[in-house]
Amino acid sequence: MNFFKRAWQNISFKKGRSLLLVIVMTVILVFIMAGLLIRNAAVTTVNNTKQQVGASVTLSANRDQAFKKMRSSTPPTSTSKTKKPSLSMPSVSLANVKKIAALSGVANYNVSVATSANASSIDAISTSSASNNGPMGMSQSTSSGDLQITGVLNMKTLSDFKDNTNKITKGRALTSADVNTNNVVIESELAKQNDLSVGDTIKIKATTTGKKAYTLKVVGIYKASQSSSSSMGPQQSDPSNTLYTAYTLANQIKGQTNKVDSAVFTLSNPTQKTAFLKAAKKIINTKKFSLTADDSTYQALKQSMQKMESFANKIVWLVAIAGTVILALIIILMVRERRYEMGVLLSLGEKRTKIIGQLLVEMFMLLIVSLALAGIGGQFAGQALSKQVMSSVTTSTTTDSATTQPGGNGGPGGGQAPSGQPGGNRPGGQMTQGTQNKAKSIKASDLNLKINPLTLLQLGAFGFTIIAFAVLLASANILRLEPRKILIG
Amino acid sequence: MLTAKDVSYWYDSEENTLYKDVNLNFEAGQLYGIIGSSGAGKTTLLTMLAGLDKPRKGEILYEGTSLQKIGLTQYRNRYVSIVFQAYNLLPYMSALDNVLTAMAITHSERENPSEFALEMLTKVGINPDMARKNVQKLSGGQQQRVAIVRAMCCDAPVVVADEPTGNLDDTNTREIIKLFQELAHEQQKCVILVTHEKEVAASCDVQYLLQHKTFEEVTL
Repeated sequence: MNFFKRAWQNISFKKGRSLLLVIVMTVILVFIMAGLLIRNAAVTTVNNTKQQVGASVTLSANRDQAFKKMRSSTPPTSTSKTKKPSLSMPSVSLANVKKIAALSGVANYNVSVATSANASSIDAISTSSASNNGPMGMSQSTSSGDLQITGVLNMKTLSDFKDNTNKITKGRALTSADVNTNNVVIESELAKQNDLSVGDTIKIKATTTGKKAYTLKVVGIYKASQSSSSSMGPQQSDPSNTLYTAYTLANQIKGQTNKVDSAVFTLSNPTQKTAFLKAAKKIINTKKFSLTADDSTYQALKQSMQKMESFANKIVWLVAIAGTVILALIIILMVRERRYEMGVLLSLGEKRTKIIGQLLVEMFMLLIVSLALAGIGGQFAGQALSKQVMSSVTTSTTTDSATTQPGGNGGPGGGQAPSGQPGGNRPGGQMTQGTQNKAKSIKASDLNLKINPLTLLQLGAFGFTIIAFAVLLASANILRLEPRKILIG
Repeated sequence: MLTAKDVSYWYDSEENTLYKDVNLNFEAGQLYGIIGSSGAGKTTLLTMLAGLDKPRKGEILYEGTSLQKIGLTQYRNRYVSIVFQAYNLLPYMSALDNVLTAMAITHSERENPSEFALEMLTKVGINPDMARKNVQKLSGGQQQRVAIVRAMCCDAPVVVADEPTGNLDDTNTREIIKLFQELAHEQQKCVILVTHEKEVAASCDVQYLLQHKTFEEVTL
């Protein structure tokens, strides 16, 4: 153990050289630390994101099959213009929705029922462009109600509310506790125009047969950031005319029971998507209904994190290799400078392995100091690097997801209004996860760049491997040393 | 104790042999002096006796066993102590630590090595305060004395010294010679000195003169 003492005596005697080595090693370790922090943070973020974003699977009518059915029911010889083919979109059974929701891996689910109604005790917001410029001069309120009703199970899981496109400004959002109630959440412009506030009641009339009147209680007011002129198409009502109710009330207004237009199931883990789809398809009639999986948020984030992980890995390995080479060169020079000392030790009968051991111990002692310094510096460097890298990966992810975003505004149940369905609103689209916004929401600050004992252990292992390799490379010189030539020659 | 048997040595080629078939015998309790002109090969013989080099032909035997068989590192570690002209002390240590390091490397079995080393250093005129100073702060004579104490403390039965007084003044030279005589006569070590100084050679029990590529024992 004598060489431990010698190592300590040497590094404490040669303070300047020791300091220089500490600086070099600290710089190397800071870069490795930064790389390790980013890599570990990227892995952790992907794992955490799995839980946070999950994957969504939308159950809705199979539009392709519905169109095929419509075409096959039309006689090929028919030339009559009076018998236009009609597209019949089947509604999803609520019982099936509940069965699917009971499958393992489902974090939560939501249902959507879209219908329309006419304002009775209030005035709907009318948009001149919509009423004047509609197709074939149609006024939107003539073919369907002037209020768009969106029946849901839970407003909080709607993407428009999750990504803050819509915000609850007063009162509360609807939850599963509002099922079988007449509670409603209205838009702030509609509330302002009719001088409504939380707790007030409004009356609407169904557009279906019987035109039954309903009294609804306002429990919340939301602010829609979507402007009427920018996003509305022909036949679309002003977004401020959208009312959120429980799906049970929407069903009553629509004149159906135990049915929904679509359902969205959020999986707790995106990797369970395939197994879930397999199990869910056994429950539904796949000829009538389709299951559309959307794990694009997870995939987009995973991709960006993988890019970052790969970048961090490259940093770690590049710095490790460069560090080994740099340290090896320094140690080789150091060995040359210390040939005399080594010759003395060899002349005393010291084993070459112990001389190499002394070098290793010296470097290890300096490594401990460098580790402490790198622990402090690495966090700052990691933060700076990750900001730089995250800004580039987020930009690319946003671009990617914007071009490949599934569902979008034309999701199941959205778009045109066949079979008397209200046009304009987009329940399917609303319930699609906001990939773009999610990707944006993962910022550098979201990466957990805190140093933990495992990171320090990894850094220590890297540091030790580097010095071990460097000493090993330099020890070729020691093995060749001949004490006679050094001390006498 | 230590025997050079049919030892031949050359550097570049056999034609330029330094010496051929040298046979010498060194015994415990004697102080040997190897003398000769510069470049004759005195130090080369010493390096072979010290286990720092191997003969080109022949062998060096310690107690009848070839050094090659013992292993040069093992031989240096257990059986021989070397004193160099340039002292060859470890510069980052104190005088005391130099002695203690050598004792640790050679597995000295002294019960209290620190106390023993200080006692030996004091004996050669290095007081405890000086002993704890960095060795580079000592004078040449003091450093040589530290080097001799290092050899003394290692308990090796053979001590070889290459021009140990080469850098010293007359007073220091006399003190160092006295120390070597003590090592040989009191501690019963086999002490071999290489020197070109007649005064030093004269104080040795046996002198070998290297001349015309052969060693001749000089009768005193």
